[in-house]
Amino acid sequence: MTKAYLSLIGIDLKLAVRQRAVIFFNYLFPLIFFFIFAMVFRAGRNPGAAAYVVTMSVTLGILGSGFFGAGIRAIQEREMNILRRYKVTPITPAPLLVASMVTGWIIFMPLILLVLTMAHVFYAMPWPAHLGSLLLFVSLGLVAFRSMGLVIASVANSMQEGTILVQLCYLPMMFLSGATVPIEIFPPSVRVISHFIPASYLVEGVKGMVLRGEGISSNWNAVGALLIATAVGLILGMKLFRWEKEEKINRSAKLWIVAVLLPFVLLGALQVHRGEDVNKSSFFDRDTQRKQTLLISGAKIIADGKIIESGSVLVQDGKVVQIFEGKPPDAASLKAQPIDASGKTIVVSKGEIVDRSEIFGLQ
Amino acid sequence: MSADAIISVQALQKSYAAVHAVKGIDFEVLSGEVFGLLGPNGAGKTTTVEILEGLRPRSSGEARVLGFDPERQKQQLKDRIGVCLQATNLPEKIRVQEALELFATFYTRSVNSEQLLKRLQLWEKRNAFYGTLSGGQKQRLAIGLALINDPQLLFLDEPTTGLDPQIRLEMHLLIEELRAEKRTVVLTTHYIEEAERLCNRVAIIDEGKIVAIGTPMELQQKSRGQSRIQIMCGQPLTAGQLPQWPDALESSLSQDGRTLTVYSNRPARTLFEIMKWLDQHGVPLEDVHLKRPTLEDVFVELTGKKLRD
Repeated sequence: MTKAYLSLIGIDLKLAVRQRAVIFFNYLFPLIFFFIFAMVFRAGRNPGAAAYVVTMSVTLGILGSGFFGAGIRAIQEREMNILRRYKVTPITPAPLLVASMVTGWIIFMPLILLVLTMAHVFYAMPWPAHLGSLLLFVSLGLVAFRSMGLVIASVANSMQEGTILVQLCYLPMMFLSGATVPIEIFPPSVRVISHFIPASYLVEGVKGMVLRGEGISSNWNAVGALLIATAVGLILGMKLFRWEKEEKINRSAKLWIVAVLLPFVLLGALQVHRGEDVNKSSFFDRDTQRKQTLLISGAKIIADGKIIESGSVLVQDGKVVQIFEGKPPDAASLKAQPIDASGKTIVVSKGEIVDRSEIFGLQ
Repeated sequence: MSADAIISVQALQKSYAAVHAVKGIDFEVLSGEVFGLLGPNGAGKTTTVEILEGLRPRSSGEARVLGFDPERQKQQLKDRIGVCLQATNLPEKIRVQEALELFATFYTRSVNSEQLLKRLQLWEKRNAFYGTLSGGQKQRLAIGLALINDPQLLFLDEPTTGLDPQIRLEMHLLIEELRAEKRTVVLTTHYIEEAERLCNRVAIIDEGKIVAIGTPMELQQKSRGQSRIQIMCGQPLTAGQLPQWPDALESSLSQDGRTLTVYSNRPARTLFEIMKWLDQHGVPLEDVHLKRPTLEDVFVELTGKKLRD
């Protein structure tokens, strides 16, 4: 039976490569968003913004892979009587579900590496301090969201129902988790909702690892919720698996979707109860910028009453540690990340840059 | 249960809520025979075979297939049988040979996919995507998938429905090959000629019940319907000169007197007597037609319906 698992994975991969839609939704779609977000948030001026753009692109990719790549595709295969052909063979749903997970993972992983590389090359974003942790966390998120997609496929009686259920899950996760719109722009009452949205934990986990150099150990809450969602999703996916479109499921079975979302609801309730914020950091995380060494050059500098027409500022851990007049020193020799601020004015007061938006773009 | 019965069904019933799809049927399928389930759409044929294939639970009754209980020993049973379903599909972008090789990995034993492709005349199409195949090629591939585990028992559920006559003929030849290989085949169909041509025995199903079972010949003989003998003569006859033929129920002459039509319950004996009479009277013979009652006639007689109602 191991042969069945391997051959299903092999065929799923071949089919994925042969379908333009799969390539578009798995690679081009997140990359288009990557560049759009990068332009909107001026990632070129701020490695922090670039990191946030990476988070958004990766999260969108995971949501798409889970709800559309796993969920909608499973419904399509049932509606087209493809699963019915498998039903007359001795295989159980397990190899089909496992093949869906593994294939989704293999297809997705190049995207994250591509996005990280582009952010590093084009927007000078530093590599995450714990790349292994990030890849592990993203893998877990992918498997969890694909499990959710498969549960939706299991409880939907038709493509129409499946599309509605997917949109009901996908849209709030897209807009209220920070995956596309920074959650900080919403009023506190709306921000509370994000505590109950599974994608929020994904966004926060990825952001923490990309922006703040966190490891997986700093995100145990999210890891736990994703693990439970994966386990519940796979168990339900097996239990509720249907081979044929004629096998209808009770309307009440749709409540099983709640079961797979329950770990996040409980985690959200716990965080609200404790008064914690799921968004541990704001969009343009000052902490992040403070942990970096930056050489901001070519700017007019006003430092404690002194005006330098063209100079550079070395910032370490958020503090201005040195001001240079004239030609800037070599950023590499200072182990600093260069930021071009030509035409900008930097006001330094008490060792801090007063108006950061001038340099770092959006605040 | 007969010693060489591969399938044994007793008092089998299947209900879906208030609908009784199968209402207590009994039959056996013997090793090496092609057994036909003949009936109109909605008669309960597909439900019956899907219970036997282990795809649906039965409501009551007993069923054994290759010694397995299809409800409790599904996986073992599915490993040993081949199934060609009425409406199935494969992904559009899977290649023909890939599909056979994929399905081969699902079973504990399998045949060589290349030999199977050649046998099914799909070798030239081995690298074609499933979505580009014609209806006949798709159906041949479906039979190939059913044969990939070299099954002793095959279920073919309406394998020729929707195919054009030429492709249907190809499928008939393929099923005849399977019969020659002594494989046991359960064939559901609503095509009379298919059942008559291919099946060793036929069960006629209507509204969830078996209304008749036997060889096509036995069923035809059970019919009250008469055979029609039609004789074209080289010279005109007159009604007055014709005798009463043995076992003939009715005789008539065409307007030109050249075509004699006789209905009989025992057509062989009646035909022999007509030939003898024509010879004695020196009437030249141009052509002879004998039309026996078909399974369709039997079906109409037993159920009062046509098969394709």
